[in-house]
Amino acid sequence: MSALSHSLYVDSYREPATNEPAWLSRLRRQALARFEASGFPSPRDEEWRYTHVAPIERKLFTAATGSADTDAAEALIESCRIADAWSLVFVDGMFVPELSERHGLPAGVTLESLASLLALSEADGNAAWLESGLERETESDRHGFLDFNTAFFTDGAVLRLEEGVALEKPVQLFFVSTRNDGRATLRNLIRIGRNAEARVVETHVGPPETGYLGTVVNQIEVADNGGLNHYKLQLDGGRAYHFGGSYARVARDGRFGHHLLSLGGLLVRNEVHARLGHAAQTEMNGVFLSENRQHVDNHIRVDHDEPHGSSRVSYRGILEDRSRGVFQGRIVVHADAQKTDAEMNNRNLLLSDDAEIDTKPQLEIHADDVKCAHGVTIGQLDPDSVFYLESRGIDAATAREMLTFAFAAEIVERFGPLRERLRGLLLARFPNAQ
Amino acid sequence: MSATAETLDRLIKQDYKPGFVTELETDTLPPGLNEDVIRAISKKKNEPEFMLEWRLSAYRHWLTMMEPHWAFVEYAPVDYQAISYYSAPKTTDHPKSLDEVDPKLLETYNKLGIPLYEQEKLAGVAVDAVFDSVSVATTFKDKLAQAGVIFCSMSEAIEKHPDLVRQYLGSVVPAGDNFFAALNSAVFSDGSFVYIPKGVRCPMELSTYFRINAAKTGQFERTLIVADEGSYVSYLEGCTAPMRDENQLHAAVVELVALEGAQIKYSTVQNWYPGDEEGRGGIYNFVTKRGDCRGARSKISWTQVETGSAITWKYPSCILRGDDSVGEFYSVAVTNHRQQADTGTKMIHIGKNTKSTIISKGISAGRAQNSYRGLVKILKSAENARNYTQCDSLLIGDRCGAHTFPYIEVKQPSAQVEHEATTSKISEDQLFFCQQRGLSAEDAVSMIVNGFCKQVFKELPMEFAVEAQALLGISLEGSVG
Repeated sequence: MSALSHSLYVDSYREPATNEPAWLSRLRRQALARFEASGFPSPRDEEWRYTHVAPIERKLFTAATGSADTDAAEALIESCRIADAWSLVFVDGMFVPELSERHGLPAGVTLESLASLLALSEADGNAAWLESGLERETESDRHGFLDFNTAFFTDGAVLRLEEGVALEKPVQLFFVSTRNDGRATLRNLIRIGRNAEARVVETHVGPPETGYLGTVVNQIEVADNGGLNHYKLQLDGGRAYHFGGSYARVARDGRFGHHLLSLGGLLVRNEVHARLGHAAQTEMNGVFLSENRQHVDNHIRVDHDEPHGSSRVSYRGILEDRSRGVFQGRIVVHADAQKTDAEMNNRNLLLSDDAEIDTKPQLEIHADDVKCAHGVTIGQLDPDSVFYLESRGIDAATAREMLTFAFAAEIVERFGPLRERLRGLLLARFPNAQ
Repeated sequence: MSATAETLDRLIKQDYKPGFVTELETDTLPPGLNEDVIRAISKKKNEPEFMLEWRLSAYRHWLTMMEPHWAFVEYAPVDYQAISYYSAPKTTDHPKSLDEVDPKLLETYNKLGIPLYEQEKLAGVAVDAVFDSVSVATTFKDKLAQAGVIFCSMSEAIEKHPDLVRQYLGSVVPAGDNFFAALNSAVFSDGSFVYIPKGVRCPMELSTYFRINAAKTGQFERTLIVADEGSYVSYLEGCTAPMRDENQLHAAVVELVALEGAQIKYSTVQNWYPGDEEGRGGIYNFVTKRGDCRGARSKISWTQVETGSAITWKYPSCILRGDDSVGEFYSVAVTNHRQQADTGTKMIHIGKNTKSTIISKGISAGRAQNSYRGLVKILKSAENARNYTQCDSLLIGDRCGAHTFPYIEVKQPSAQVEHEATTSKISEDQLFFCQQRGLSAEDAVSMIVNGFCKQVFKELPMEFAVEAQALLGISLEGSVG
């Protein structure tokens, strides 16, 4: 029965607006055909082994029509706005320029909505790289959500830095959902030029009692010696479905940092893939907290294509109530990638009898002169530490909260320049740990 | 450096010594698989009706199954209709003693370094020798019988102890467990059966030696070991096959049952023909091995040294059902040339305070692919379960691959699970250190490799540990550089 229910989505497909370029309509139709054939991924697919997306198939989340509810969105945005940052705001999949902040952007920076760039004439000069950017295969494992995203995306953010531009202030991208049973499908393109540098804070937020589907795909390119610190704040409401995928290509000597704080949503999949060139580096830090019946699946893949690259992945999970956490990480060292230095680490705290964690850290190594390691631990809070705090007059519940917060905060400490602000967001979840 | 490269080369390129063929008259069924073949096998073995039914239902289930392809190996498809499912040397049906065994067979085992006679007289290890589809000899039966231990071929067990077989066969690996286990259940021809009664410590090590000889046959043996309450047994298994250009299928099933307080130690030295340097020929080793710690405080320990086979697909597992039961897995897997191994273990924690340890050492050389794939699953009932996993890989040469695919699933907050994995090559510094102390490059490498595997080798019974070290040297011959 559920086998064909993704056809509800297929049937809802409408030919895009006439002002879209022909190459894009072609890409969309191809993606739709693949999606029609394969549907959303199922747990029979090894990469989706622990995550059932059937609830998404069972009902049809619809795209917004008309104008966005900006009043409701504003309050949500303010709850997680990073001070002193440029921003683009998307509400229910539509760009809202009034809420966005782009004053004082230096020369050599494009920060625009994808739809508006696509609507411009071919002569604008962006068409060629947008086409090649969007057409690019989304790397190693294509699946239903990527095809779904290509077929249905309504808009997205484009950030392009020319050679040598270093952005002083971070760029915050807001993806706000407000409609029950609504969907927001967005595609972001981020391109960091040679020697350029940026910080991007991708923020997902929605009301607590609203059920919606957000699928956001980031295509990221970092040119030679460029640097991108990409933060993802997943603060969706407790009934939200979220698929987020970031697919980065990092050229020679480039640096790609991905920092995840995954706190919200009912069914969440955070995917991040990085393909590293010569001596490129990546650092991926993640904290996921889940409670009630939340399901959070973190999926990571690092491809070392060329020599001298390095990767550091550390994720920590805290699981409470009846929630379920998943960590799937795969480091692939290809045959030419000698002298690769790769490390992956996943530590988890299982705090309830009904919680579950499934973790699958994988190494696939085809080169011999490498240093690769991975480690996993699953356990509880150390009773001695709890006792120590209790002996100092702190009650047991507070002591546990402090220790749990400290466990997560260790990762946030690695978040670089924005760590102070992001620690505040985390601390909000542990009011007694102050 | 180039001197080391040469040494390594020499090390890798050693020959496969057990690769000869024994010329024997055989009783072989024509290739192909259908219900009549299964009836014929069952009839040849004089099996009771329940066995035939069991086989047929396994076969019917197998027909509905798909061959699994999730393992990290690539191989030419197997044509299940081109295999002969039964081949036996034409000799006296049931040799009463070794004197009645065809001398050619004894000679084969002598050549392989398993002199059944001497073993009987000197070594004090009871051996069951399985040649192609049938068991040809079991030594030390009388002495074992005095202790109450039953050690015989599976066919004999089905005839003489049908109740035990009926009670335990398929209770750990059900007939329809997976594609290869279902195939094995339908067509298995022989294997070993061990029963250790309550409170008995088996007076000697038990051993089975498997030999594939005939061409175009598959070997499908089935081993069942039952250790009753408070008993102990150590069991060894060895395997070889002739060198041939075509691939041969080996799909075995091993079931272990440990009741309350019982201990089973199962050691394997697997040295099936691995194929030649270009990857021609070799055995497809698709094996299901599983132990069930059914009673409290029981313990099952798997130790394996995997050096042979073109393709290995093998996950000796422990179901830790009894409270305080213990599962262990120690493995050295060596792949060279174009060998591919996807091996590991599963530890399923069900009972309280269950403990498991996994130590896996993978060595990959030439153009080989070596994967560790393991599952640690802690169910909600497994309070205070504990697992420690360590998998290390050593790469020798820049065209091989070493992969680690652990799966860890935990539903019990009081569980403690740790997993560590590293991958590296033999460091120049280590080699240099040994060489400046006067060791040749070859000795240095073999010393480092042996050190790398030591944690596993020390779990092997004495005789096997020596054999394993020698095998390791042979398998890697020519690979160090």
